[in-house]
Amino acid sequence: MSSDDSAARFERIVQPHLGDAYALARWITGDRADAEDVVQEACLRAFRAISGYAGGNTRAWILTIVRNTAYTWLARNRSAVVTTVDDLVAAESANAGQSASFAGDYGSNPEAELIAKADAARIEAAITALPPQFRDTLVLRDIQGLDYREIAAVTEVPVGTVMSRLARARQRLIEAIAADDR
Amino acid sequence: MTVDVHDNNDDRAALLVHAYVDGELDPANTIAIEQRMTSEPALAAERARVEALRRALRERLPREAEPPALRERVRRAVGIARQRTRPTWMALAASVAIAIFASSTGTWYATMQSPVGASVPDAVISGHLRSLMAPQPADVASSDRHTVKPWFSGRIPLSPRVVDLAQEGFPLVGGRVDVVNRTPVPSLVYSRRQHIISLTALPNASAGSTTPQTVQGYNMIAWTVEGTTYWAVSDLNLEELQMFARLFRAAPA
Repeated sequence: MSSDDSAARFERIVQPHLGDAYALARWITGDRADAEDVVQEACLRAFRAISGYAGGNTRAWILTIVRNTAYTWLARNRSAVVTTVDDLVAAESANAGQSASFAGDYGSNPEAELIAKADAARIEAAITALPPQFRDTLVLRDIQGLDYREIAAVTEVPVGTVMSRLARARQRLIEAIAADDR
Repeated sequence: MTVDVHDNNDDRAALLVHAYVDGELDPANTIAIEQRMTSEPALAAERARVEALRRALRERLPREAEPPALRERVRRAVGIARQRTRPTWMALAASVAIAIFASSTGTWYATMQSPVGASVPDAVISGHLRSLMAPQPADVASSDRHTVKPWFSGRIPLSPRVVDLAQEGFPLVGGRVDVVNRTPVPSLVYSRRQHIISLTALPNASAGSTTPQTVQGYNMIAWTVEGTTYWAVSDLNLEELQMFARLFRAAPA
């Protein structure tokens, strides 16, 4: 493939998803300038890989590269904030409390009312406080509108894991927003 | 990890509620969880919380737009000149495709990739894409089901079930004949805002998996009723396509 063809493919495949790429990078890095750096680096990776790209869901392909680039970038530039695998495992298995509070909730729905009143800054702070794998799943679904299969592709886990991460991310978010008001 | 059976069931039911709100359940699971939410207040409360959260996120934290300069910065980084004086045939073809489908740049790519007659979903999606490229998505254009249904009976053995969903926001656009596995089959065309939905009916077919799937950005849902498998395909979001499938199944013929 000539560089002209690569350039044309890049324009066609990558550029339409630049907004999604930036939004995901912004949530992962928590910083706009850092997000731009990550997107540029991810685009360079995508451009180098594009002649071998076999096709498929282009948005999921780009976002997978962006996500991996963002975590590599964080490890290099801000190694202190990178979550270790042990933290991830602990967060994944800590679900007993969720189902207890879930099962006990009957009748009126104070949390739903509190969520409806919560302002953007409070919600954003609660999302930022989520463990990374929960936050990524929630952002990809509820802010960027990907479906479960696309999220599974981007985060490189089975669809079942996407489902449980998403449910726990939302339950944590609901609890955090509701707790702010008590 | 020690979780008793009760907790485990609650966890699984909660996952189904989330997947229901996301429009990710097949029709059978959709009906099952809808019934459970009616009888179990805890599940109904979970649904209310999730919907409140989704609404709050949509209204208050919309996806932040990229800075205007980023696109140009990326182009420079990969060495693409801003003005292409000599467009390659691919760029040209892509721009033609974009002009036709202002909504999706993936469409052209999808068309190039669909192997004709490779599988039922591929054949169904090819029929949908061909219809989008044609001047009209339907061979018979009518919002009246009493016009569309007889049109089919003069042409193919299977005259499909045609229902009127205009009240529910899915007006009938018309019908066309697609070819799947060398067999002519009826496709109904509905619309939702500017989105076109193709509903292809295959006699004596099994859907295999009825899990919704996404092929090249198009959502597909299949279900089987009395030996006829229906495939709904559209670039409409999965929630609304699921709603369409539910309404179609529930509507009186």
